[in-house]
Amino acid sequence: MTGHLTDDERVLHHFGETARADRARIEQHLTGCQDCRSAQETLREVLRAVETAPPVEPRPGFERDVWARLEPQLDAPRANLRAWFGMPQWVLAGGLAALIVAAFVAGRFSGAALPGTPVAPGPPAPSEARERIEPDRVLRAAVGDYLDRSQMMLVEMLNADPDEPGQFGADQARAEDLVAASRLYRQSAAQSGDAAVTGILDDLERVLIEIANAPPDATSKEVNGLKGRIAAQDLLFRVRVVATEMRRRTESDREDGERVTRKAPVS
Amino acid sequence: MPETDSATVVAAQAGDREAFRALVESHSRYIFALAHRMTGSAEDAEDVVQETWLKAHRQLARFEARADVRTWLHRIAVNCSIDLIRARRHREDLHDPADLSEGPLGERGADTQPSPDRLAESAQMSDRVQAALARLTALERAAFTLRHVEGMSIEEVGEQLGLKTSATKHSVFRAVRKMRAALEPFVGRLLSAAEGKP
Repeated sequence: MTGHLTDDERVLHHFGETARADRARIEQHLTGCQDCRSAQETLREVLRAVETAPPVEPRPGFERDVWARLEPQLDAPRANLRAWFGMPQWVLAGGLAALIVAAFVAGRFSGAALPGTPVAPGPPAPSEARERIEPDRVLRAAVGDYLDRSQMMLVEMLNADPDEPGQFGADQARAEDLVAASRLYRQSAAQSGDAAVTGILDDLERVLIEIANAPPDATSKEVNGLKGRIAAQDLLFRVRVVATEMRRRTESDREDGERVTRKAPVS
Repeated sequence: MPETDSATVVAAQAGDREAFRALVESHSRYIFALAHRMTGSAEDAEDVVQETWLKAHRQLARFEARADVRTWLHRIAVNCSIDLIRARRHREDLHDPADLSEGPLGERGADTQPSPDRLAESAQMSDRVQAALARLTALERAAFTLRHVEGMSIEEVGEQLGLKTSATKHSVFRAVRKMRAALEPFVGRLLSAAEGKP
């Protein structure tokens, strides 16, 4: 028999992903072609060997080390989240607005911008450094926390089963809260000239608004549509990158603060 | 779910730190194996295990105690692995660890050791599978594992990894081609032995 099946056709056939239009042709060919049947059987055996291979074992004492690394991290994030979600949203928004307004009244933000964004000229005088770092630090820590929470929501949304009814329901209140917070952060970031943060918050807000306003009985097509838009913008990856950058800068702020405190003259 | 797991989850939800620790100790190996299969690196797998537990701890209150805890953890771990792979996507695939022209793994180095019977062949197969998986790029490995082991459709795999369907197919095809090139000679030998052929 001539015109054998290609490797790719055999792989798709094995996984049951042959296009409907090709199915009959592939089946018919396999019925009549010993070579292709044999190749298909070998492919099945190779893939079965992969599936049944024993898993890689971690080093001895692995579980103990996991716990040792994990335990110190369990309290802090929970405490933050509890505090965050525990208070009424208007209190949260008001408090944040006050903090951010105070930051601007105190002076222009002086922290380094993300790559590709304008950098404030000249380092501040040592005596001013501490006051000028503080407002920026507040904003960075808050945005970092906000991005972490948004990231969790995006991951859950991307992994949601589109055929399960009421996919958006449980997340809509959270999405609304995030949208409310996002606007404050976006305005603050725009005023400080941080284009990278402004951009990601802008894109994120559009997706969050979609989730917040989605009908409770969203169809699987609508869920898939939203997933597609999140994936097309590479939103999760971009959020993760900026969140990581925020954490790095927050860490660096803390170290700077400690250095400034150590160097401050005793009056 | 075993009764003990169910009781442990309920205790952990009530804030019992030791109960959560018991869950960590019971399931970390399983999560590690899953993450290693997805990422191909022990170091990355350890990070995934850590991140999985942090997320599980944050989501603990929302977990239905009647549900299967391992299924729940499995889902979180797959998501964490995907996040890690996606985050590294832009700096991986710069080089392809596998060169198909090198031929099957068995033609190189340690694989020339004698394998007197079928049992020994089967034992060696496990190492060969790991070695073959190590020759895939991170994206090929993730796409292949999600399709073949996790049973997602190619379209779903693409959504998870942020790839177009055609690119996802390409990754799966390349992965299968590499796995076949590495393992086919040995699978063929096992098949022949099973059928009683010389």
